[in-house]
Amino acid sequence: MASPTSVAAAPAEYEKSLASRGAAMVDVVLRVLLFIGSLTAVVVMVTSKQTELVPVPFPPFGRLPSTATFTDTPAFVYFVAALSTAGLYSIITTLLSISALSKPGYSKTWALYIVAMDVVMLAIVAAASGTAGGVAYIGFRGNSHTRWVKICNIFDKFCQHAAGAILVSMFAAIVLILLLLHSVFTMYRKIPN
Amino acid sequence: MEMEQMNKVVGDEEKERDVKVGMKRKLRYTELYIRWLTLILSLAAAIILGLDTQTKVVPITLVSTLPPINVPVTAKYHYLSAFTYFVVANAIACSYGGVSLILTLANKGRKNGCLAKAIIMLDLIMVAVLASANGAAAAVGYIGHEGNKHVRWNKVCNVFGRFCNQVLAAVGVSLLGSLLFIFLVMLAVLNVQNKH
Repeated sequence: MASPTSVAAAPAEYEKSLASRGAAMVDVVLRVLLFIGSLTAVVVMVTSKQTELVPVPFPPFGRLPSTATFTDTPAFVYFVAALSTAGLYSIITTLLSISALSKPGYSKTWALYIVAMDVVMLAIVAAASGTAGGVAYIGFRGNSHTRWVKICNIFDKFCQHAAGAILVSMFAAIVLILLLLHSVFTMYRKIPN
Repeated sequence: MEMEQMNKVVGDEEKERDVKVGMKRKLRYTELYIRWLTLILSLAAAIILGLDTQTKVVPITLVSTLPPINVPVTAKYHYLSAFTYFVVANAIACSYGGVSLILTLANKGRKNGCLAKAIIMLDLIMVAVLASANGAAAAVGYIGHEGNKHVRWNKVCNVFGRFCNQVLAAVGVSLLGSLLFIFLVMLAVLNVQNKH
């Protein structure tokens, strides 16, 4: 015969396990979102090739076909590299989160390692977004002081691709911030005072 | 005999608690010291780039027959939007470092979970903002140093050498500051785990 105290304790334990499963589900969903964001940004930036006829500024004056790709600027190359790293990282941690869904335990050291790697990834992705954004802004506006001409009036499709990729990378950075906040607040709940 | 064993167990427990209290105090002092360091480093980065200006007299040859005209050209940090963003971001990080230092000092001992969570959230946002500002300034500085032949952007650092060196120094200092912010977040997580 089950004692009254154990029957009363069962719903509380069930609720706690439901809450932890809910938290793990949110974790998986956010990591999948991060993967989708990084993949989209990389694909959009890599497919941004555009060839246009550009007037040559020195004799013989004429129009030559000129190509703009993401490899022209080291900033965009770093952008693609950083977002690819974030995509690979999101795949690995999504698999880890899914495997942690089935296991009932909660490991403190694992949580600390994942949070540490998440923060480093946040810095990398935010730096990529800032780097590409800075260079794209100069390409969009030009700079009269350094005499750097704007190129987005000629290479408009290239600039649109770059702008889209940068916006998606900002979304990926926000998803990483949400992931970190979720992990830290879950830790607050799981480790009682 | 039993009393001696019980006393030994109680003594061991007290020693363990003392060790834990000592570690918590060390973590708290580390966190305060690192917050103070972020304040200093981001202030230094903002000042190094904010006061960065260089004027050089450049001989410009308009026509090959006439002697070259000496034109003074100036480089200031706000001529490039990325550097303006860098200075603003470091100023924000510096003021946040000061405010969070004061708040953490005033919050000593009291387990105010709300304030700690807000500070962790703002720390994360500062990591992102500072990292993006570092990236932007580094990218624009690299273009100024090397130029870009595909889009015909000429390099600038052959003329403004000191300006570019100061940019490099400011970006390096700010990089250190953002590393410290990352470390602060990890320290906050360690604090949460060592709460009991």
